[in-house]
Amino acid sequence: MHIMEGFLPAGHALAWTLVSAPFVVMGARRLTRIISERPEARLQLAAAAGFTFVLSALKLPSVTGSCSHPTGTGLGAVLFGPPTMAVLGTLVLLFQGLLLAHGGLTTLGANIFSMAIAGPWVAYGVWRLSSRLGLPVAAGVFLSAFLGDLATYGVTSAQLALAFPDAVGGFGGALLKFGGIFAVTQLPLAVAEGLVTVVVVNALGGRGLVHLHGAKA
Amino acid sequence: MAITIDRLAQASPWRKRAVLEKAALALGLLAVALVVPPWPGALLVLAVTWGLALGLAGISWREWGGLNAAPMGFILTGAVALAVEWGADGPTLAADHGAAALAVVLRASASVSCLLLLAATTPTPDVVAGLRRLGLSSEIADLALLTWRFLFLLQDGAAAIRIAQDSRLGWLGWRRSIHSLGLLIAMLLPRAMERARRLEIGLAARGYDGTLPVLHRAAPASLRVLAAVAVLDLAVAGVSLWLS
Repeated sequence: MHIMEGFLPAGHALAWTLVSAPFVVMGARRLTRIISERPEARLQLAAAAGFTFVLSALKLPSVTGSCSHPTGTGLGAVLFGPPTMAVLGTLVLLFQGLLLAHGGLTTLGANIFSMAIAGPWVAYGVWRLSSRLGLPVAAGVFLSAFLGDLATYGVTSAQLALAFPDAVGGFGGALLKFGGIFAVTQLPLAVAEGLVTVVVVNALGGRGLVHLHGAKA
Repeated sequence: MAITIDRLAQASPWRKRAVLEKAALALGLLAVALVVPPWPGALLVLAVTWGLALGLAGISWREWGGLNAAPMGFILTGAVALAVEWGADGPTLAADHGAAALAVVLRASASVSCLLLLAATTPTPDVVAGLRRLGLSSEIADLALLTWRFLFLLQDGAAAIRIAQDSRLGWLGWRRSIHSLGLLIAMLLPRAMERARRLEIGLAARGYDGTLPVLHRAAPASLRVLAAVAVLDLAVAGVSLWLS
């Protein structure tokens, strides 16, 4: 769920950029090391980023200065790992801004935090937890993609509520207002993305293309 | 498959101008739009960007309008949430009658037009080359360029799979659509990786050493243009502050 260019006040845009920067820099350092050890990984990573872009280009209009579509957050976090997703997500968000005018440059930091950091980490955490609890693979994958999406939307609502607190209800009122409007569109979308991700992982597993460890089949 | 902004940028009359000139113009105006009071600052920025895009940059009304319309839809719906207040008895119209919402709409639409002015006149690889000069590591810059090349190929691949699924009634009804979308993604990922592997073999056969030198056609930045851009940015900021 992208926040459009110029929607956040300058101070908030700058603050979110500073919050996201360490995650992206750490991820970039890690990727640089991987690439220097295995130069061929560069092409695989670029293909993964291109794949995430195409995935998220299937979008549906939503409300409150942003929009909704498959984020690929959960799938990416499980397949490539959250630190890698921070960098790939940043590239994808930059290209979405420059090629589709979707999101923006000043709101890049805020969008990176919700979609390339919070979403992937929550999705990855849920995936690991469900493996440890011995949940079936399908349930783990569904929950991971579903909750990863909800985390993204929750963070975006909080970012908007922080920037535009309600005159009467303050931050809480604004969070209810933004979150409430989002829930109508985002809950069904998160469920849809969860189901799609299960189909994807099943199809990839059926062809022996991925092996998911630590979970019951 | 062409992406409208990329097509406009590649064919733009400003295509060969230095990235620095275009970035100074668009990002300077963007900074002005964010910092000065939206009334009348953002309105002035809107007038300048629309004038430049439709006049000097030679973008047609229809295409420029279309590019601005999509983000505008999101901005307007977003503003609705700002025009209401959450009181004890549910949402009511804000005490300022939507003045804050209008200010955000003005600021965001002016900012979007600045972003579009840059995006529709500067191909993405040029922007990446500019970021490289600003200190982006060569590994990440190469990754960005490769990603840019991949996404057109993968988009074509996704569209072809979608047509094949559509012609087999794969997108009839919600359940089947979910299933088809899942299969499409599951089909696309191995194809993307296979393409990456083949490209790697092709590059290795040509002596790939980790660098991808690309020719840039852009001319060096002209001091005269940069000075004119700075004067324009400052003039818009000054007039906005004076009028507000």
